[in-house]
Amino acid sequence: MRLRWRKFVNAAMLSASGVCAVIAVSALFVILAFLVYNGSKSLDWNFFTQLPKATGEAGGGMANAIVGSLEIVGMASLMGIPIGFIAGVYLSEFDDKHFASLVRYTADLLNGVPSIIVGVLAWTLVVLPMRHFSAFSGAVALAVMLIPIVTRQTEQFLREVPMALREGSLALGASKWKMIATVAVPAGSKGILTGMILGVARIAGESAPLLFTAFNNQFWGGINEPSASLPVMIYYRAISPYDDWHRQAWAAGLALIALVLLANIAARMVLARGISVPRG
Amino acid sequence: MKSFSWAVCVAVGLGATAAQAQKINAAGATFPAPIYQKWFGEYHTLHSGVEINYQGVGSGAGVNQLTGGTVDFAASDFPLTDEQISKLKVKALHFPTVMGAVVLTYNIPNVSTELKLSSDVVADIYLGKITKWSDARITKDNPGVKFPNDDIVVIRRTDGSGTTFVFTDFLSKVSPEWKMKVGNSASVSWPGQTLGGNGNAGVTGLVKQTPDSIGYVELGYARQNKLPYATIKNASGNWVKPTLDSVTAAAAGAANTMPADFRVSITNEKGKDAYPISTFTYMLIPAQLADAAKLKATKGFLQWMLTDGQKDCASLDYAPLPKEVVAKEMKQLALIK
Repeated sequence: MRLRWRKFVNAAMLSASGVCAVIAVSALFVILAFLVYNGSKSLDWNFFTQLPKATGEAGGGMANAIVGSLEIVGMASLMGIPIGFIAGVYLSEFDDKHFASLVRYTADLLNGVPSIIVGVLAWTLVVLPMRHFSAFSGAVALAVMLIPIVTRQTEQFLREVPMALREGSLALGASKWKMIATVAVPAGSKGILTGMILGVARIAGESAPLLFTAFNNQFWGGINEPSASLPVMIYYRAISPYDDWHRQAWAAGLALIALVLLANIAARMVLARGISVPRG
Repeated sequence: MKSFSWAVCVAVGLGATAAQAQKINAAGATFPAPIYQKWFGEYHTLHSGVEINYQGVGSGAGVNQLTGGTVDFAASDFPLTDEQISKLKVKALHFPTVMGAVVLTYNIPNVSTELKLSSDVVADIYLGKITKWSDARITKDNPGVKFPNDDIVVIRRTDGSGTTFVFTDFLSKVSPEWKMKVGNSASVSWPGQTLGGNGNAGVTGLVKQTPDSIGYVELGYARQNKLPYATIKNASGNWVKPTLDSVTAAAAGAANTMPADFRVSITNEKGKDAYPISTFTYMLIPAQLADAAKLKATKGFLQWMLTDGQKDCASLDYAPLPKEVVAKEMKQLALIK
């Protein structure tokens, strides 16, 4: 009797957790399916090659926003990833208790700062002194958001590298930096890279920090000029009352997700080819 | 990482090819944004060397960015106050560009007729004193219309807005209570229960999606989205529909008595055909431009806008400027140095 009861509880709990797992995963698929359904109807060649039309006019594309997003996120990655990565290595490998816990705490706080506040920061520190909006200032805002994500992820995955590997390397006479560069980091590289990709994917979809930094542009914009970007375009298109703009907002959403996925896949392929991962 | 540096290289290359163009950045009112973007696009096809990037962020935000010096010029539906002017590092000149109407647009299920709203009814709806569509004061002016017995969803702007300025300017003139309790500004603290939308586009979208709602937007936004809008009783006691002609009629008085700096209000004007919530909208151009190429491009555009550009007005539901005003602005052009 007790055995049967136990088996019943086991089955019930197992199926409950299964249902929860399905719900968690299906959220992603529902979003994807919705985007593909609504977005694919609106994606056409013009979307990738033309500049946006004036308010309320049908047609046009978002070529400048696609390039602008790549530009801004690319610059933000160049600024944010190295800083975040090295800070993460510091936290994991040179933990000196007091300062490290301060850094860790600050990074977590920064992670929780609303993105619009980061935008205000970049507006004050970059846009005001330069006296104009620019793709660069938007990249600074996104980099500020990227640094704490990469820092914490790098730290976490480095901590998962077994101590024995480090000790073995040091025992064979490697200096500490050599141990970090050739043993610890390669061993944790898959996780670290995943953390970086997650961070980049996260900032690629941010519109709030860009509203008054990268601003927006209906023409092509250089690095030092106001620039269109996909999230800001989606924001303005989606709150507008025009059907054609709603259509374009869906298309832009699909393009944004596709870009993030492509970057994700590309990075994983580079990793799979480039570095052999020793097993712990 | 590699793929990103790649993208940056491509992007830099693309940026460089377009670098010869004279680029001007501007921001401000969403009220004239459709015609401004049309103008800047058209001017760019005529003069490929000039790119004017205009973003409708709201009049309030536009004026703030001009004060901060982050844009080359701003656009606003309200003239700057003396205090706002004193904060500018470089004095700005007001250039009226077009005229437009703020209309009361609504979404009442099963009511497709054109509503008539007297100005005190509009004020009391926004004061929160009239809360139902079936209120006797609304039905009295609209015989034959079957109103639902539902609460009115009152929609207003959340951002600092020239449209709000014009609307509250009108309400302050027609309702002493409004003037005392709320007053006239680009963003006010709304007395009743209201729902906020961002920009003219945002308010239009909200009205479109919300049954039993009413909101105030620029005429073109209502017309292009096929939303109905109300006929308003004007200061002379006539019911006037917002049209290009009735806006022009409202400006008729102002055209001759226009002050030298163009700062004037044309709400609640008397006149048989004058639509009472009409306004000029302005570009705020710095009087000194250090960059010679920018100066030339800006002046060139303004000249074109005041002449050929005015022909685009009607297709987007804006009223062209009176001749007298254009002549005065041409003189002001010489003051930009």
